[in-house]
Amino acid sequence: MSVVIGVLFVAPLLYLLQRTVGGKENLWSLYTSASTLEPLRRTLILALSTALSSAVVGTGLAWLTTRTDLPLRRLWAGLTPLPLVFPSFVGALALMAAVAPGGLLDSPLGWIGLEPTRPEGFWGAWMVLTLFTTPYVQLPVAARLVALPPSLEETARLLGRRPLTVFRTVVLPQIAPAIGAGALLVFLYALSDFGVVVMLRYETLTSAIYTNRILDRDRSTALSLLLGLLAVGVVVVERHVARRRPATDATRAKRPLQVPLGKWRWPALAAVVAWVALALGGPLASLAVWAARSLRGEATGLAAGGARTGLADLTTPAVNSVWIGLVTAVVAVAVVLPAAYLSARYRSRIGGALTGLVAAGFALPGLVVALSVVSWSVGLPKSIDLYQSFPLLVSAYVVHLGAQSLGAARVAVTAVPNRLDESARMLGAGWVRRIATIDLPLMLPGLAAGAGLVMLSTMKELPITLLVAPTGFETLSTRIWTGTESGFLAEPGLASLVLVALSGVLTWFLVVRRTERLA
Amino acid sequence: MASLRGMRGHKRSWRAAAALGMVLAVGGSVISGCGGGSGRDTLVIYSGRTSNLIKPLLDKFAEETDTNIDVRYDNSANLALLLDEEGDHTDVDVFLSQSPGAVGFLDEQGRLGEISSDLLGKVPEGDAAADGSWIGLSGRVRTLVYNTDLVDPATLPTSVLDLIKPEYAGKVALAPTNGSFQDFVTVLREKLGEEAAGSWLQAMADGNPPTFNDNTAIVEAVGRGEVPMGLVNHYYAFVAKSDNPDLPVENHFFAPGDYGSTLLVTAASIVKDTDQPEAARKFVEFLLSEEAQKYFASETFEYPLASGVQPNPVLPPLDQINPTRVDLSTLGGDLESTAELIQRSGLSS
Repeated sequence: MSVVIGVLFVAPLLYLLQRTVGGKENLWSLYTSASTLEPLRRTLILALSTALSSAVVGTGLAWLTTRTDLPLRRLWAGLTPLPLVFPSFVGALALMAAVAPGGLLDSPLGWIGLEPTRPEGFWGAWMVLTLFTTPYVQLPVAARLVALPPSLEETARLLGRRPLTVFRTVVLPQIAPAIGAGALLVFLYALSDFGVVVMLRYETLTSAIYTNRILDRDRSTALSLLLGLLAVGVVVVERHVARRRPATDATRAKRPLQVPLGKWRWPALAAVVAWVALALGGPLASLAVWAARSLRGEATGLAAGGARTGLADLTTPAVNSVWIGLVTAVVAVAVVLPAAYLSARYRSRIGGALTGLVAAGFALPGLVVALSVVSWSVGLPKSIDLYQSFPLLVSAYVVHLGAQSLGAARVAVTAVPNRLDESARMLGAGWVRRIATIDLPLMLPGLAAGAGLVMLSTMKELPITLLVAPTGFETLSTRIWTGTESGFLAEPGLASLVLVALSGVLTWFLVVRRTERLA
Repeated sequence: MASLRGMRGHKRSWRAAAALGMVLAVGGSVISGCGGGSGRDTLVIYSGRTSNLIKPLLDKFAEETDTNIDVRYDNSANLALLLDEEGDHTDVDVFLSQSPGAVGFLDEQGRLGEISSDLLGKVPEGDAAADGSWIGLSGRVRTLVYNTDLVDPATLPTSVLDLIKPEYAGKVALAPTNGSFQDFVTVLREKLGEEAAGSWLQAMADGNPPTFNDNTAIVEAVGRGEVPMGLVNHYYAFVAKSDNPDLPVENHFFAPGDYGSTLLVTAASIVKDTDQPEAARKFVEFLLSEEAQKYFASETFEYPLASGVQPNPVLPPLDQINPTRVDLSTLGGDLESTAELIQRSGLSS
C-alpha cells in the first residue's frame, strides 16, 4: 500500500529528475549561480516569514474565537477561515484594486489615517500571502484548543498563575504540534504559489520557474527540481524534530475553558474586525463591484450581440467545482491515511519518507505537477487510456493537494487511543471490525477537517484543471481565469463571489462546525 | 449523559460516512460515464485564445462544416508545454497562439507542420512564417494607454523612445516580465542594436517606473489614477471600457512607423503529426475567411490580418500606424537574450 502511494507522490520528482538529467543545464553551476541563489534566498525569506506571521496570527485568531468571551465569537470563527478560498491571482488582483491609491477603499482608508498603498515586492507578497494562508494554522489550532482538557489550566490558575503565563506554560506546549503542522503547510504553500508573487512582482524561485517555462525550459525544470528537493528536506528535518516530541494524548474535552478578556475585550474585537476587513472585506469589495457591473448589465462584454454572463450560466461550473472538490477530498484522505498511520502510530521511517514526498507534491507549482502527470500518462498503452480523464485529474489533484489532509489525518490517528484497539483485539474482534467500529468513527471528525482543506483548494485550483481535466470540463475557477486572462473583470468578479459563497457554506458545515467536535 | 453524547456522535459519524460513500459512488459513475474522449474524426484544437474571444467562431465552423471539434483552453505557453509533453502521442491538430513566444518554442521543438502556401498568401508578407509553421490571424498594436482625467493627450510623445525624457520619469507603467513588453524590446534590439536598446531600458529603469505583472493590471492602475500612463497592447483599453464604460482611459498611438507601435500577432499553426490534415487546413482557411476576420475586427477590436478586411472604425487603420513586426521565427532563442537585457536594466530581477 505504501509502495503505491510512494509511486504516486514520487512521480513529479522523478519526472523533473529525468528531464533535468536529459537537459543541457549543468546543475552544479546553475544551483550555485547568483541567478538561482538570489531567488532562492527570496523564496526562503518569504516562506519563512509568512509561516511565522501566519503562525502568530492564526494561533491568536484560533484562541480568540474558541476560548474567550470575544463578542460575536462564532461569527468570527466562521468568517476568518474564508480568505483561504480566494484563488491567489484573483485575490491579489482584487486586494490591489481595493487598497491601491485611487482604489475602491481609497477614502475609507484615509478616514482612519491610513495611506492607500499598492501591495508589491516583498512586503506586498508577505502581507497578501499571510492574509490568505492564516487559516492553515487557525483551523488545526482551533481544533486542538477545543479538545484540550481544562483541568491543567484550571489547576494552574488556582495556583495563582496569570492568564498569559497559563497560556505560555500550559496551553502553548499542547498546541505546539498543531501550530507546527499548520505553519509547515503555509511554508509549503508559499513555496509553490505563483499567483501572488507574479502579480505583486516579487521574484522568487516559482516566478523564475514560471517566466522561464518556455524561454529556457531546462532552467525552469532544474529550478522546479530544486524546489521539490527543498520541500522534502524541510519536511524530513521537521519530522526528525517532531519525532522527539512526546505524543500528546488527545482527549475530548467536556467543555473547553473560557477565558474572560476583561479590558482587552474591545481591543481584541477591533483587531479581529480589522483582520477580517483586510483579508476578506478588501478582496470582496472589489469582486462585488466587478460582479455588480456584470449583473446590472453595464459590462457589455466585447461581442456586441453576445449573451452576458448571469448567475444562471454559472450553474454547471459551480456544480462541477463542488463535486470534483468532494471526490478529490475523499480520495485524498483515503490515500494519505496509510502514510499518517505509519508516521503517527508507528513512527516509522517509511511514514516519514512518505510524508516528505507528499509535501513535495504540495510545494511544486500546479503546472509542474500537471506536466509530470501528463508525461507519465501519455506513454500508457491505448488499452488503459487515462489521458485527460477524471481519474487522472483526481490523481493529479491528490498529488498536489494531499499534503493538506496529512496533518489532520495524523491528528485523527493519534486521537484513537491504542488501548481501545488492544482491548478490542483481546475480545476477539477482527481488524475489519476494529477499523469499522473503533478507528473510523473516532477519526472521522479529524479526517473531515483535512478533507475540507483539500476540497477548498481543489475548488480554487487552476493550472491542473486547465491542463489535465477532460475537454470541456468547466469549473468556477476556469471561468474566473477565462475572464481575467482576456482582460475582463466583471464576469470573473461574479464567478469569484459564487466560489467564495459556496466555499463559505461548505467550510462552515465541513470544517468550522466540526472543529467544535474535533478531538 | 456522556454516553448519550457519545452515541449521538457515532450516529452522526455513520451518517457522514454514508454521505461520503454516496459521493464516491456518484463520482465513480460520472467518471466511468465520461470516459472515452475524442473520437478518430474529431478536430482537436489547443487554443491560447480564451473561449470568450473565439468560441463563437469555433462553433460556427463546427456547424457549417459538420466537423466535430474538441477545444482545450489555457494560456499559450502552458499549452505549448503540454503539446510538447504529449510529443508523438498527441491528438492535437491545430494550435492557436495568443503570444509569439509559444509558437517560437514549438517551432524550435519541431512540433509544427506546414500551412500550404496558398493560405499563406492571404496575409501580408511578414504576418506568416515563410516555412508555413504559423500564420497570423489577428493583431494587437502596442500603445501608450493614459488616464484622460490626468493627462492632456497633446503632451504625449510621438515616439516611444521619448519616454525617457525627464517629464515622463516614473509616470509610465511597464510590465517587464510580460511577453508583450518583451516582444517590443526584441523589436528595439533588432532595430536599434543591443547597446542602444539596453541604454533606453536603462534610462527607463532610472526613472523608477511603476511595474506590473500584465497589461490588465496596468490598465486598471491607469484607470483608477494611480499611474498616469502605461505601455500596453491597444486591446486592453477596449476590454476595460466594455467592462466599465466610465473608466477614464484612452489609447495613444505613436507616430507612423515608430518602434513603439509593435504589431503582435495571434497565430494559427498546424501540428506536425496531425491525423486530420484536411480538416485542419479547412479550419485555418475558415479563420482567414472574411466572416472570421470581420469577427476579430468588430467583436474583439483586433486588427484583422487577412488582406481586404477593414479594422474596427474606432481604430486607426494599420497602414496609417505602419507598425513594426516581430520576426517570430527568430524569437525562439532571441527571447532569452531579451529577458536578460531587461533584467540587466534592473526592471526585473
